Amino acid sequence: MEIEKDMTIEDLVEDYPFAEEFLRVKGIKCIRCGEPIWGTIEDACKEKGFSDAEIDQIIIELNKELEQNKNQNNEQDNQHTRRIETTQLKRD
Amino acid sequence: MSKTINIQDVLKRLSLKEINEGVTTGTAWFDTEGKINKSYSPVDGSLIASVKTATLDDYEKVMQTAEKAFEQWRMTPAPVRAEVVRQIGNALREAKEDLGALVTYEMGKIYVEGLGEVQEMIDICDFAVGQARTMNGFNLQSERPMHRLMEQYQPLGIVGIISSFNFPVAVWMWNTALAITAGDVVVWKPSSKTPLTAIASHKIIEKVLRKNNVPEGVFNLIIGRSSVMGDNFLDDKRVRLMSMTGSTAVGKRVGERVGKRLGKTILELGGNNAVIVTPKANLNMALMSTVFGTVGTAGQRCTSTRRIILHEDIYDEFKNKMIDAYKKIKERIGNPLDPDVLVGPLHDIYAVNQFKYAIEQVQKEGGKMVFGGEILEGPGFETGTYVVPAIAEAENHYEIVQEETFAPIVYLIKYRGDVENAIAINNDVPQGLSSAIFTQDMQEAEKFYSAMGSDCGIANVNAGTSGAEIGGAFGGEKDTGGGRESGSDAWKAYMRRQTTTVNFSSDLPLAQGIKFDLD
Repeated sequence: MEIEKDMTIEDLVEDYPFAEEFLRVKGIKCIRCGEPIWGTIEDACKEKGFSDAEIDQIIIELNKELEQNKNQNNEQDNQHTRRIETTQLKRD
Repeated sequence: MSKTINIQDVLKRLSLKEINEGVTTGTAWFDTEGKINKSYSPVDGSLIASVKTATLDDYEKVMQTAEKAFEQWRMTPAPVRAEVVRQIGNALREAKEDLGALVTYEMGKIYVEGLGEVQEMIDICDFAVGQARTMNGFNLQSERPMHRLMEQYQPLGIVGIISSFNFPVAVWMWNTALAITAGDVVVWKPSSKTPLTAIASHKIIEKVLRKNNVPEGVFNLIIGRSSVMGDNFLDDKRVRLMSMTGSTAVGKRVGERVGKRLGKTILELGGNNAVIVTPKANLNMALMSTVFGTVGTAGQRCTSTRRIILHEDIYDEFKNKMIDAYKKIKERIGNPLDPDVLVGPLHDIYAVNQFKYAIEQVQKEGGKMVFGGEILEGPGFETGTYVVPAIAEAENHYEIVQEETFAPIVYLIKYRGDVENAIAINNDVPQGLSSAIFTQDMQEAEKFYSAMGSDCGIANVNAGTSGAEIGGAFGGEKDTGGGRESGSDAWKAYMRRQTTTVNFSSDLPLAQGIKFDLD
């Protein structure tokens, strides 16, 4: 898994911006006063009362979301490439 | 300066490069091997420059240098220490326009506010210079004959400063000018979102430090990730005082960890600041002041006005005036370096998300949007960080109203009856930073700042919640943390208090008349 529970919130939101909204929906606010909160994902979840099992589940979901995002991005890249190729074909 | 401002020239004059060292002990800069931090401008999304961040080894080297420097600095007379601060103030005067422009370009506030931020740095330097000769103790009456009883203030040691992106350099100087004059040495962790203004500030003072032979380790800067400048910094017993400006969430962590080792803290945390407008107010004055309070710095000040508590008799009139004023504001949103612009961008996309979230939430809870809330698009707004400041009608008990949203959304709340009812609403939030009342009625005003009045650290009359002068102590109560920075007697927090009894008799009388004879 790319995202681990001992990752800092600062690194999480910088490397995986989608995670901010994902965690906010679960009641965990990663950004306060415009700055990332300190500590790890696990710290932030525990602060909100999540159990160890629930935290593990959140990490699984975060990684799943990450994979979906990557697939979407790949698909967008592929579509972009196809558009360029089509344009080039028309030009040719 | 205007639109023609050339940021590349500004960066050059401030001695900033494409990639910059992010750690210094004053004049020595470290070639660090931590992660590269890229700073992007919220104005146009451009990469401004990058910073090499610290490693744990760098942190340790700085701390050891700071400890050593303190031994020398604490024995330098306070007025001599303050002479360095005076020269720093002058160096800032010379660099005011460039540093102000960089504050604007890296943080996003409008240029006049960028200049204002540097002016705050200059003001606190001037203040500290005067303070250096008045940091007094007390001589007290001893109960024993031929005894002197006195109290004095001594330097503390290393002061840690953790500052936030919204005032990227002023908060550093608020703390530093007092701490340095008090004989302390400082280690500054600036926001990782605004590292270049921090480096530029240190470049500006570098010449002064060199000219005055200030020991390495008195003024320290460490730009590092929270894995390098996080809990280890808080837990470090060498840091005698930790002054932190930021969110209540992070402040609680700072308070807990520093408290665990019985260190001292100054916590300047979130606000949920309200303006009360009574039927006896000068409404035009209230309007002008409140609009600056709500949209200034695009609502990203700790002291931004978040709530306006309006008497029912003037509610509709004031609301309509607010909407008219916001319509004018809407026409003047844009590049904050442009002198005609009144509202610049939010700092980043996360701030925009918070803004959108607040708008959704207030409506879900029963509130009504009466103006703004749009994210601007098109030429000049490509970053997606420019928003139209929002006004919502709401009730104080809504969850979203109880929170601090760091964005330009203000809640209109209606009160009925006497001013006591408005004060109760003002106080009915977890935070307690700033508050204001607009009234021409002496009794209402007196009640507002009396013991039964506002429970905030700042309680203004016919002046808004934001834009404090440096001469008064700055800070707030409850979830705002209780710390005080800046003026008045805030200097005492940067020193340790010592009580001394001197016996100049030939006897050894004990206090309370206790007899302890061996014979």
